[in-house]
Amino acid sequence: MKLTEDDLYRRSSQYKHWCFTPSKLALLRQKTNIQASERVKANVARQRAQRAKNLDTTSASDSERANTPGVENGADGASGNGGAVGDKEVDCLTVAEEMRLVDKFCETALELGNFIKVPAEVTATTIQYLRRFYLYNSPMTYEGQNIARATMFIACKTEGWHIPSSDYAAKFANVTQEQVLAPEHLIIQALRFNLEVRHPFRGLKGAHVELGEMVKGTYVPLEWDKRTGTQIQSEILKLPKRAGGAPMNLSESDFRKRLEYDYGVASNILKTSAQLTDTYFHYTPSQIMLAAHLLADEPLTLFLLATKVPPPSPIYSKTVDTIRACAAKLSSHRSYTDSSTSLEDKEARDKKEKAEVLAIIKKLRQCRDPDKMDLVKLNEAHKRDAVHDGELDERKAKRRRLDRENAQKEADEFWGPELPKNGAK
Amino acid sequence: MSKVARAPGASKRLAEDGGASPLSNSLHHLSLQQSPSKASKATPAFADSSSDICPVCKSSRYLNPNMKFLVNPECYHKMCESCVDRIFSHGPAPCPIAGCKRTLRKAKFRSQTFEDLKVEREVDIRRRVAKLFDKQESDFETLIDYNNYLEQVEEINWNLILGIDVEKTEQRLRKWEEARKADLNPNAIRRVTEPDTSQLSDTSHVILKKGATQRKVLMSSSASNLNPLGGGDDAERDTGFVFRGLKKRKAPEPEKPFDPFDGWSIEPQYYSFQGDYNHNWFTAMKNDPQHYAGGYDMREYYSRALCDAFGGMGIFIEDEMTARDTQGFDDAGLGTQSVATVAAGGRDVDMADIF
Repeated sequence: MKLTEDDLYRRSSQYKHWCFTPSKLALLRQKTNIQASERVKANVARQRAQRAKNLDTTSASDSERANTPGVENGADGASGNGGAVGDKEVDCLTVAEEMRLVDKFCETALELGNFIKVPAEVTATTIQYLRRFYLYNSPMTYEGQNIARATMFIACKTEGWHIPSSDYAAKFANVTQEQVLAPEHLIIQALRFNLEVRHPFRGLKGAHVELGEMVKGTYVPLEWDKRTGTQIQSEILKLPKRAGGAPMNLSESDFRKRLEYDYGVASNILKTSAQLTDTYFHYTPSQIMLAAHLLADEPLTLFLLATKVPPPSPIYSKTVDTIRACAAKLSSHRSYTDSSTSLEDKEARDKKEKAEVLAIIKKLRQCRDPDKMDLVKLNEAHKRDAVHDGELDERKAKRRRLDRENAQKEADEFWGPELPKNGAK
Repeated sequence: MSKVARAPGASKRLAEDGGASPLSNSLHHLSLQQSPSKASKATPAFADSSSDICPVCKSSRYLNPNMKFLVNPECYHKMCESCVDRIFSHGPAPCPIAGCKRTLRKAKFRSQTFEDLKVEREVDIRRRVAKLFDKQESDFETLIDYNNYLEQVEEINWNLILGIDVEKTEQRLRKWEEARKADLNPNAIRRVTEPDTSQLSDTSHVILKKGATQRKVLMSSSASNLNPLGGGDDAERDTGFVFRGLKKRKAPEPEKPFDPFDGWSIEPQYYSFQGDYNHNWFTAMKNDPQHYAGGYDMREYYSRALCDAFGGMGIFIEDEMTARDTQGFDDAGLGTQSVATVAAGGRDVDMADIF
């Protein structure tokens, strides 16, 4: 019974639960959007009806009004007769708008990672969590800022970069520990408890080291490859700089510099464009890594590929196609084209995008799900001894307290009471 | 002799007790006649089954209310605890009862379980035999074979109890025990017998000079004794007893070395692992005692990085996901149905209240 690297990847939760074809992904987002819109509409309608009822007896409380979307500028409905409150239909976000928002959240997360100085893996995991989270949840339901903060805290833990929640919350202004911790359970649920994200970063290092061996001439070819290490070395040193360029003959140390440069470019692409697009859903980390390397140095990447898969086989051409498609996706993102566009173009584009996103955010304010506004309160309501509707169920609370005391007493009887500390009697 | 030995004891008891019941007396006679061969052994104990006088030191319970009588399964002669202490404290000594020459050890003395020492002895014998002959019905091919076996075992029991052919039976029992041990633990017995076989063949060489064929048989048997499993010569080995229809005991299979991966192994198809890679990234780490002292192996990192680099290179998500969908094989929400509904926009899952 043998397992190849591919089989190993097939056993990961990323492959099992988080790989989609583009059409399936679009369908999923559509479904999420429709469900979220329906819920928002239903909840808003319910709340308006409630307020209309309250208006008949007393005036609506301020807090309720603050929690209701569409009140800020739609106050005319509230002040008028109660029957006219629910007349204005909520204008929900479209799928494309949601996508823009999620991308915006991801970019913010990237900045957030730089701001609190977490390793690149943590930021990348955060972004992937966010993308996965918003696959099944809409920004209309859960607001991005809180979720991004909490997600990054989870990512810190899963990537082994531990930080106490109080320290973490202290890094932001006006953020309490509860706000960071409140959405945790929700996020973990939405991630279906699949906390592993396979990144291409370590793979890039592996490929880089392997290329270094080839340049040195100590590379051991695969069984089907009849070339020797030195043959591969002489071939790799002759590789042209650009695709279709004239063959060059670099020295070993010069080629090493080229490798370092390629590594830097590829790693930068992996940290930005790979995160800000849907590549993780459509390609395996290895393919993403090779695509990034392809953008950095095409002849070298194809040479590497040809040492891994025999070029005449159909698998080779298919792999190259896949990697090229992935590279096209990576290079389509503006973080990749930034370097080639002029400064004015860039500024104009950024300005336009900012305006668009602001418009969407403004629209989002009108269609937030009123039930999911206060995540801290929601989280507390889930907990034991929760305060339901402003009062604790007294009998229940008393029973629990007695239970707890009894359990403590039993434990004391069995194990003996706690020892006094430091001579205290 | 036994009668002589008993008679004074009996008369004495009669005098002391003020006369025993005639019934017990006659019973006693009866038991004597039943087993004349070992009457001498049983006599003292039986002579005063209800007696309170130690046959060795003649002290009575009247003087020492805490007196305890002990017997040794070697000869079943009863004596008091202080006598045992006195006579056998310094090692094995002959039985102090007149006419009994057996050597007894203190460790073997015990208080008797049954009033009747004959019963005590029979139970001991049966226990010993049952330990050796512990076959079950499932060990035999047919029920009749099993019944025959039981019959044979019972015969051995009675032979020992009644003292018929004791020497021969004991010898066969010893052989049977050895064969049984060899069966259960072939390695242990081989260690013991290996030097023995050479000795045996030396002596037998002298004895069996007459026939070359006989010698050959012996040589072959000793050679087969040396074979590692030791089970090849079951047919020719003398086990003392032969039971018809006894299934051959199958030795349990030797345990295989533990394999944590249950037979699975990782065989990379896109790279050949070279063991060591020289890159300036690793030089610092390789020479850092903090890394290698803790047992960190750089090879783990190399293989993981390479596996990451090419793991999934040949997986085409589009094709495989389409195939998965058409097969209807989607385990995405299998174990987490409720979570899936939450993800799809339903109510949040409530954690169970443990108190």
